[in-house]
Amino acid sequence: MHLRSLPLAAPPSASPDLLAPPRGGLWARILAGALGLGLGALPTRASAAPPPPTSSSIPADAEADADGDDAAPPPGDADATTPAPAEATSSGTSSGAADPSTSGAAEVRADSATAALETKASDRPKASGRGAPHDPNTPPDYAQGFHFGSYGRITSGGDATGRPGRNADIVAFGSRLDEQSYAELEVRREDYWEATDSYTRAVITLAFTNPIFHYTGKFDASIGIRNLYIEAADLGVKGLRVWMGSRMYRGDDIYLLNFWPLDNLNTVGGGVGYWFKRGTVFKVHAGLNQPNNGFFKQVVDRPPVQNQLGATEVAILDRQKLITSAKLEHTAPAGESGGIKATVYGEFHWTGKGQREIADQVYEALPADKGFVVGAQGSAFTGKRSTHLNLVVRYARGLATYGEFNAPVQLAPDRTSKGAQELLFALSGNWERGPFGVMLGSYYRIFRNAAAGLDFHDLNEGIAIVRPQVWLGKRKFAGIALEASFQAQQRGSIVLGDDGSASPLFGKVGRVGVIPFLTPGGQGAFTRPHFQLIYLLTARNADARALYVPEDVFARRSVDHFIAITAEWWFGSTSYFRD
Amino acid sequence: MRERARLPRLALALAGGLVGSAGCMHFGALDDPPQLSTHVGDWRDQVIYQLLVDRFADGDDANNYRRDPTGMARYHGGDWRGVEEKLDYLEELGVTALWISPVVKNVDTDANVDGYHGYWAQDFTQPNPHFGDLADLRSLVDAAHDRDMLVIIDIVTNHVGQAFFYDINLNGVPDIQLQGDGRPGKSPVGHITEYDPDFDPRGIQAFTSLGEAGPAPAIFQYDPATNHIPPYPELFAKPEVYNKRGRTFNFDIPDQLLHGDFPGGLKDVNTTRCDVKREFVEVYARWIELTDADGYRIDTIKHVEYEFWRYFTQRLRQRLKKSGKEKFLMFGEAFDGNDALVGSFTRNDYYNHWTEDKLEAADALERDAECGGDGPVLTGDMLDSAFYFPQHYQVFGDVIRGGSATQKIADLWGTRAQNWGNTPPAGGIGLVPSKTQINFIDNHDVARFLYWLQGEPGEVSRGMLHNALLLLFTMDGIPNLYYGTEQDFDGGNDPSNREDLWKSDYRTDGATFKWIQRLIKVRKAYQALRKGDTLVVWATEHTDAESDAGIFAFERFGGDAGDNYALVVMNHNRSNQAAPEFDGSKMKVSVGPGTVLVDVLSTAKTEYTVDVDGTLGVLLPPLTAAILIPKGAVASGT
Repeated sequence: MHLRSLPLAAPPSASPDLLAPPRGGLWARILAGALGLGLGALPTRASAAPPPPTSSSIPADAEADADGDDAAPPPGDADATTPAPAEATSSGTSSGAADPSTSGAAEVRADSATAALETKASDRPKASGRGAPHDPNTPPDYAQGFHFGSYGRITSGGDATGRPGRNADIVAFGSRLDEQSYAELEVRREDYWEATDSYTRAVITLAFTNPIFHYTGKFDASIGIRNLYIEAADLGVKGLRVWMGSRMYRGDDIYLLNFWPLDNLNTVGGGVGYWFKRGTVFKVHAGLNQPNNGFFKQVVDRPPVQNQLGATEVAILDRQKLITSAKLEHTAPAGESGGIKATVYGEFHWTGKGQREIADQVYEALPADKGFVVGAQGSAFTGKRSTHLNLVVRYARGLATYGEFNAPVQLAPDRTSKGAQELLFALSGNWERGPFGVMLGSYYRIFRNAAAGLDFHDLNEGIAIVRPQVWLGKRKFAGIALEASFQAQQRGSIVLGDDGSASPLFGKVGRVGVIPFLTPGGQGAFTRPHFQLIYLLTARNADARALYVPEDVFARRSVDHFIAITAEWWFGSTSYFRD
Repeated sequence: MRERARLPRLALALAGGLVGSAGCMHFGALDDPPQLSTHVGDWRDQVIYQLLVDRFADGDDANNYRRDPTGMARYHGGDWRGVEEKLDYLEELGVTALWISPVVKNVDTDANVDGYHGYWAQDFTQPNPHFGDLADLRSLVDAAHDRDMLVIIDIVTNHVGQAFFYDINLNGVPDIQLQGDGRPGKSPVGHITEYDPDFDPRGIQAFTSLGEAGPAPAIFQYDPATNHIPPYPELFAKPEVYNKRGRTFNFDIPDQLLHGDFPGGLKDVNTTRCDVKREFVEVYARWIELTDADGYRIDTIKHVEYEFWRYFTQRLRQRLKKSGKEKFLMFGEAFDGNDALVGSFTRNDYYNHWTEDKLEAADALERDAECGGDGPVLTGDMLDSAFYFPQHYQVFGDVIRGGSATQKIADLWGTRAQNWGNTPPAGGIGLVPSKTQINFIDNHDVARFLYWLQGEPGEVSRGMLHNALLLLFTMDGIPNLYYGTEQDFDGGNDPSNREDLWKSDYRTDGATFKWIQRLIKVRKAYQALRKGDTLVVWATEHTDAESDAGIFAFERFGGDAGDNYALVVMNHNRSNQAAPEFDGSKMKVSVGPGTVLVDVLSTAKTEYTVDVDGTLGVLLPPLTAAILIPKGAVASGT
């Protein structure tokens, strides 16, 4: 759940008394609203406030989509040891599993904040320095100046034979328990400009994924810049925000699946959002990118000009993808502290025509291509302890079917992505009461590439996952969670029966995990950090094993075990609290 | 309230509709077990169209792996879906049976040449993914059947692709070596490739600096990127099922012909083994059971023992009949101008490569008995038909294109009854082999007809081609047209003769397309042209300016055509008009005096009347022909 999506966030201009820099200003008010702190209650987190609505669960962890670290390899590039996920995943989700951490984190923070607010002051940790004690699961303190935030998870473990752990999901978005290490480091600069009565925030987020030095002993790293943008609020118009730069731009996630089902974009561009006075938000955005794929760019060697020797490079094909999005969201209070949220969403993708060289100095024309996404989300939340339910439906067609970073590799006869489509239904939720809690997630996805007929890259897939958990002890600093999931995937690859009839390859995987954990922040599904001990059992049927080459252990094992320790944290990052 | 209730229902309906339209994962006809049936009555009613799948039409981008349309020896992207999408084109042309490239998975690429043609089998059980999947193939067959068209699949049993190398120097890796420096007094230069060494009747021998070291091990390659992996089924991954004697360099020596690797390193399978015979029946019966295709064109039959063909054809017919498939056509390719050799594969009394007496059956039947205990006693039956290569050389090459005497045609045709046999194989297509030869002008293994005429004026080259086509569609047997002929393609030898048909834009308004369309229409209209017996009524040794130089005439009547009658008169003379008469002698025909014959090819429907003496005069301009039908039998629209 993003704070931006929280229902009680009043437009900044609606409560001038909240504008009390440097304590937080607009940002703080928004955050406070998002957290359910209510109008006028904002400047101090300690103010009593209703608990945050939890309709959305997702902090923005960008890791998954943009960098592809978690992303499923595109067809043809897939590691032979890995079952190739869909050629492209839902647009919002790109091809990889989204990084869970941040998303859940966002909401967590919100809820944690709530929890913190509900905590007696005497129970709070003593402030180690100036001011009030800081709860890392609450929004960052939006004072002027520089700030730091982070998301991270680090895993050490493997299977029962000592091989390294490895994602064993066959669907694009499965259990996050066996995902690889990942971290984001965020630095921000925030200012209030008295001359214009406006605010700005510059965000720089560095993301790291494997390899980790202490694992390989090599000074090597895989680094991505996940955010590099600046945003202004209230500049000229109260309630209006404008941003430009490179930015993760997404909605609510399914924490258990590390998946943003409705919207999840990573582009370089800009956007505008307007917060109406009565719980309505409208946002539009436009950005460009150029996926690293021969569908968008091809560089070839040519003789240099002016009778020079050697070769020089020229981009024969060099086209960008324009991605625009629009989102209209309305949140209405319901009951004592809850609410409902409705979202409609759309994207338009376009790329210009070009040509590529298919053999030496033989060219193939690539017509302009386009696609769209339409989607909607309905959410309900109690406003207490992150209890919420999200339902999403989303349909993508043409170029948009492949998400913002993937490119079609199986084209229609006219060399476009015409005919490609994806239909997605998703569900997520969380419920907590007393020392108990249950998280759940599910989706069903149909993907068809642009090429005619069914082939291995066409698929239907789905998963249902549930994680009940209990917090133990008086201070709830420990707990145990169980996670169970069932995933199934049909691929357009023919399996012949004995009678000669055909059916699609139908892989099925069931997974059961036991996760004892320590939680310094106390109870709450989204409270972090966590110190986790994970045991995860995976069972796969013959068709699931058939997704791997015979020499792969996953092809030989119908049952697999994963044992690991994992630390996961998030604090103070706009990836979780941004809007 | 009603409106409110309607909304959720509408939403549900919309969602259901979306799922239904996008989500159902069905494989069309493959969703149900295939039911085999017989889709043909008389194969002589068919017009076969041979196409290279990779070059005919690209209907699916999903299988365009390793596509390189600039290299004629590379994959170009055609596939089964593309063929299916162009059935309208083929139907408009008039052809009724499609002979498609081998369907099995191949060695993908070898020595910078791709397996786009399909003759480099690696896995006999899997479809070639460049062409599509089983659903695509089955869909093509079904779509063809829906149009009353048939599908013939090309197969190979003689060899597999470049599967292994001979480790001649015993170092475990494939080498290509030059030995000796060739200077006077020094050892001669020797070039040895362990992929494709020259034939050795003992089997390829290993040797070191100390001399020969026994049989060279056959080491299977393992390179998944090029699909150089051991052949499948597993039987074909065993070295002992190969003859391992190296590359054939003299096809006139039976041992090399039968046991040598096909040039290019295509490893020769020991087709005398019972397990090999049975495995080939199994895999190739399976393809028909999965697709309901109607026939097999069989590659390189002269490189395989007769005993294999007896076993393979008989067991395959028996198995398919049990499944409901009869009149399954099997015709073979013996790339040879020797009519006796080509025809030997359709005779039921021909047994031995090894003795002068080819009819000697004793030891052959003894060998058959070793493997034949798994079913009815094997007889001498073999293939239903064969590619009429002798005619390709002697008639279409020598006479029509080269100007040789038309008597050559009569001479060749006159030997067919003896060379090809007159007994239909039991359970076969039910037709006499000598009357069901597969006629063709050119194919994928020879330069196109027009290639040899590129220096000729257009009216000459086209006239010759059109006369060749007229002969193809009026003579007895089964006509087979090579794709692209209708577009006047003129490529040279392999692979230049394997052009991309899409470069023609599939035009249907060209003169040759129209000519073929018309000839097929005429053939379909007149039973005599399909099923009548043949009687040559004029052939000549004259080739210059004599009155009959270039004339060839034959009647089609009787036989399975009953009283139907047709007379075909052709002038192959490129310069002079001619008529079937010389030195006071005129062509005598079999219809009675006074019979009026109509040239159904002529725009004016020219009529000719048989003279009282039973002769008929027909004067034809250079490179033209007439198809004469009794006036009362002329079909409307022809």
